[in-house]
Amino acid sequence: MSSENVTVDDAFTKVATTEEIPQGTGIGVDVDGIEIAVYNVEGEFYAISNRCAHQRAPLCKAGDKKINAEHTWTDTRGGVNEESCTVSCPWHLWEWDLETGEHEASGQRIGTFDTHVEDQDVYVRI
Amino acid sequence: MTSSVRRLDTDVEVPPEAYDDRIVDLDFHVNPMEDELMSYVEDDRARDKLTTEFGSTPVMGKWDAAYAIKEGNEGLYTQGRAEHAEDVHEACEMLAVDEPIVNPGINNLNLQHHPVLKNAVCQAANDYMLDNFVDEGIYTSMMLPKWDPEYAVEELDRVGEEDGVVAAYSWFDPKVPWGNEQFDPVFEKLVELDFPLMLHGSLSYWPQHSYIGDDMLTWTEILGFDWPIHGMVNVINMIMRGVFDRFPDLNVVIQEAGHWWVPFLRYRMDEFYEMHPDDIQITPRKMESGEKYLNQAPSEYLKDNFYLCTQPFALPRNSGEASKMLDLSFAEEMFVYSSDWPHQTLDPPTWFYTSRAFSDDEDLRNAVLHGNADEILNI
Repeated sequence: MSSENVTVDDAFTKVATTEEIPQGTGIGVDVDGIEIAVYNVEGEFYAISNRCAHQRAPLCKAGDKKINAEHTWTDTRGGVNEESCTVSCPWHLWEWDLETGEHEASGQRIGTFDTHVEDQDVYVRI
Repeated sequence: MTSSVRRLDTDVEVPPEAYDDRIVDLDFHVNPMEDELMSYVEDDRARDKLTTEFGSTPVMGKWDAAYAIKEGNEGLYTQGRAEHAEDVHEACEMLAVDEPIVNPGINNLNLQHHPVLKNAVCQAANDYMLDNFVDEGIYTSMMLPKWDPEYAVEELDRVGEEDGVVAAYSWFDPKVPWGNEQFDPVFEKLVELDFPLMLHGSLSYWPQHSYIGDDMLTWTEILGFDWPIHGMVNVINMIMRGVFDRFPDLNVVIQEAGHWWVPFLRYRMDEFYEMHPDDIQITPRKMESGEKYLNQAPSEYLKDNFYLCTQPFALPRNSGEASKMLDLSFAEEMFVYSSDWPHQTLDPPTWFYTSRAFSDDEDLRNAVLHGNADEILNI
């Protein structure tokens, strides 16, 4: 999640502007070969490994609109849950905690990354 | 130091190598909207009953997959809902699937009650598939009404000759197993058409209203293990009742019943048969033919006549263990890739590129991704 009082140095990399990640959505970026999904949860930015530990689904696709979504009930393939600060995988709905990277049912974890926002730019620390 | 940053391609979801391989998907469900499906029902009386306030026959159920995942019954549409050909193309592009074999995923029809209305829905489903998929160049597995073998042959006669219809889709269930002789005319027609019989799990047949069923409370028990048990029972029933001695060219594809049980069946069937073979001669087909035994060991029929869809693969993470299991399971001869799109149990073809069991064995990967399917389908 967003770090307070940090100095943006070489460890941080700008990955997007805040406008590029609307609230409740995410994007996928490759930073020096590391795939990272970055989400906007009620204005706070969270960064997590882009690959679900279950079957390597791209988590940045969580929240994509389904094919013929109007004839389904939930409209999107997985997605960000702002209330619980989690993202559910677009393939099998595994739910990952955006702060800890934990999948509660299995106890598995994926990587999380510190983020920082400065001058409308979103930075991730690798 | 300047970092390299790039936005990820949002259209590709599986490893890029998957696009270099030919991938055939033997279990891709399409889901017609009910109104559109009903418009294909030819019989006015049946259409009237199916489209009034009463609708289709309700199916009693006291357990539901909905309890097992947060999205509940939406698990049937986790990826969306393919209604027409362009929907299938869009979904397959994301998964690197080249040839989906689509089926009308009306899996609760088999155990509904009214045979006449069920036949009407079956006719409508097959005509819907012809109009919307076969005519659009997508290979299709036509619906085969298990509950009415005579009508099943009629449907095979009516639809089976259409170019692009390449298989017959029906169900395994805990009712009459497929070894029963009443299905012989269906098998004869399937062999004549050179169609594999695809047997999928059938919704709504959970082992309810039985002592053991009453105490099954989870998806893991019911879908994870009850389906495979009934899949195995049907496989063994067909073998031991001599189906393949009478129809040696019949191919059967088991869908969503698991596949790691192959070693268990191989050795246990042969052990039991070789020690206790004298009841084979009093099974109906053998009584008629006068033969005393099966023509070969039970495990040979398993390898020769059956194919198993892989979804969900549940491959061991350790590639050495995975290789051993694949070898013991006759994977190169029997396994066929399936995605189960659009269900929550979806299996994109990632395993073939993330496990050395497949990346180090091109022949095995090709056999499962397309070779075995090509052998049994005229595509």
